[in-house]
Amino acid sequence: MEFDIVTPTTKSELLKAIKTNKNNFRFGAGYTDLILELKKKNVLNVTVINLAQLNDKKFNSIERNLKFIRIGALVTASSIVNDKFIEKNFPVLQQAANNLASAQIRQVATIGGNICTASPSGDIACALVALKAKCELLSSTGKTRTVSILEFFLGPRKTAMKKDEILSSVLISLNEKNINIHSGFIKVGTRRSMECSVVSLAYHIQSDKKNLITNVGIAIGSVAPTIRFAENACGFLIGKKASSLARGEKEEFAEKVLKYASPISDIRATAWYRKEALFNICKSILEN
Amino acid sequence: MSKKKKLVVQNVEVTFILNGKKVTKQIRPSLLLIDFIRDELSLAGTKPGCLEGECGACSVLIDGAAVNSCMYLAINIHGKNLTTIEGLSDVNGLDPVQDSMIKHGAVQCGFCSSGMTMSIKSMQIKYKKDKKKPSKEEIKKGLEGNLCRCTGYVKIIEAAEAVINKVK
Ligand SMILES: Cc1cc2nc3c(=O)[nH]c(=O)nc-3n(C[C@H](O)[C@H](O)[C@H](O)COP(=O)(O)OP(=O)(O)OC[C@H]3O[C@@H](n4cnc5c(N)ncnc54)[C@H](O)[C@@H]3O)c2cc1C
Ligand code: FES
Ligand code: FES
Repeated sequence: MEFDIVTPTTKSELLKAIKTNKNNFRFGAGYTDLILELKKKNVLNVTVINLAQLNDKKFNSIERNLKFIRIGALVTASSIVNDKFIEKNFPVLQQAANNLASAQIRQVATIGGNICTASPSGDIACALVALKAKCELLSSTGKTRTVSILEFFLGPRKTAMKKDEILSSVLISLNEKNINIHSGFIKVGTRRSMECSVVSLAYHIQSDKKNLITNVGIAIGSVAPTIRFAENACGFLIGKKASSLARGEKEEFAEKVLKYASPISDIRATAWYRKEALFNICKSILEN
Repeated sequence: MSKKKKLVVQNVEVTFILNGKKVTKQIRPSLLLIDFIRDELSLAGTKPGCLEGECGACSVLIDGAAVNSCMYLAINIHGKNLTTIEGLSDVNGLDPVQDSMIKHGAVQCGFCSSGMTMSIKSMQIKYKKDKKKPSKEEIKKGLEGNLCRCTGYVKIIEAAEAVINKVK
C-alpha cells in the first residue's frame, strides 16, 4: 500500500485539494473502511485527501436550531454515542452508533465514512434512513446542495455524490412537539458486535397524546443491495393506535417491510434465515 | 520513454507526544501507525494480530482513548498524545491496570495482553472522567474489540472490573 496524501486543515484548502486532484483521489476520514480497501486493491497512483485534520465547524460538530440537528460528516461514532440530546431524542441513532464494531473503531469511525461507503450493512446509515435525514454535499466550487438520504444510495458502494463533491454534514428534523417516541435499532449478527450484520432494522415512530401514530421511519439493512426505506410499511402505521394493534395488523406490517427485502444467501446467513429473522423483529418492535 | 507518471511521495513532518515526551519525525504518508511504532520507534510491545481491526492486539491510546494502530495513519498522530504499553509503567512501577492483570491471572500467552491493557486503561480513564461505575456488561462491551484465544476472558474481565471500580 503506497499513496500520496494531502492534508487540508481548512475548508478552502479542502476545496483546492479536490480541484487539483480531480478524478484520482479518495477521501480518508477514520480509515476503518478505506485502509482495508486500499490494502486489498494495492492501489497505486492515488492521492488520499486526508480529512482527519480538517478543522471546520460544519464538518466537525453537532449543532442544532429549532427545526433540526446537524451532524458533521467527521463526527465519530463514539461522539454520537455520548451525545445526550441524540440519546434522548433519536435513540435509533445512538443505538446504531453504539452497535458499530468495537470501542476502538467507534473512537475513529466517522458518520460520513459510514454513509459514503454505501454498504448495505452500514449501521449509522441505516438509522439515518429511518430518520429521513438529509445529506449536505459540498462541491469544489464551494456550493452546497441537499439530497435526501432516501435518494442517496444508488447501489452497493454507489451514491448520488458527484466526483467533485464531499459530504459535509447531515440534517435530521427534530421530533414533533409533545409526542412520544418509540425508537431503536436492532441488529442480528453472527457475533455480537463486530460482524457486519446479518439483518438490521432501524425504527423511529412518533405518536401524539392520544397515542395515534403521526410519523414513522423504518429502514432495513443487509437484506438488499442497499439500505431500504420501507415506505409502505411506514404509511400502513400512520393514524393507527400504537398501543392496540391487532396481531393481524402486526403481521401485515411485517409483511410490508419484508417486501423491501431481497436477501441473498452468503457466508453469514441464508436468505431464508434473513427473512425469518426480519419478520420476527418487525413484529417484535410493535409489542409493548 | 514511458509516459506513466510515477508517484513521487514526500515525507510528512509530524510532532506529537510519545509516552510523555515530545517527538518530531518525518513519516511516509501511507505508513500505518503500528508499523511506525514497531519499526521506526522500535517499541515492540504493540502487537500485530489480524491487521484488520478485529483483534485489538495493536491497541494504543490516542489522547487517552484506545484505537487500533493497524487502521490508523501514522501522520494523523500529529498534535496528539500517543501512549503505547511501554508508556504505562514508570520508574515507580507498573500501572494499576497491569498490576490488576497480573493479580487476577489474566495473562497466559500474553499476545493479547498489551492490547487488553490499553483497552482497560481507556475505559478506566473514561469512567473516571464521567464519574461513573460501569456494570460488568459495560466492561464486557468495552472489551469487544479485543480477542484472546487463551484465557476465556473471565479473568480479564475480573481484572478490569477490579481496577476500574476499585473492588477487590
Ligand atoms: C473490524 C470492523 C468492524 C466493523 N463493524 C461495523 C459495524 O458493525 N457496522 C458498520 O456499520 N460498519 C462497520 N465497519 C465499517 C466501518 O468501520 C464503518 O463503515 C465506518 O463508519 C467508516 O467510517 P470511516 O470514517 O472509518 O471511513 P473511511 O474508511 O475513512 O471512509 C469510508 C469511505 O467513505 C469515503 N468518505 C469518508 N468520508 C467522506 C466524506 N465526508 N465525503 C465523501 N466521502 C467520504 C471514503 O473515501 C471511503 O470511500 C467495521 C469495520 C471494521 C474494520
Ligand atoms: S492487529 Fe489491529 S486489530 Fe488486529
Ligand atoms: S493470553 Fe493468549 S491470546 Fe490472550
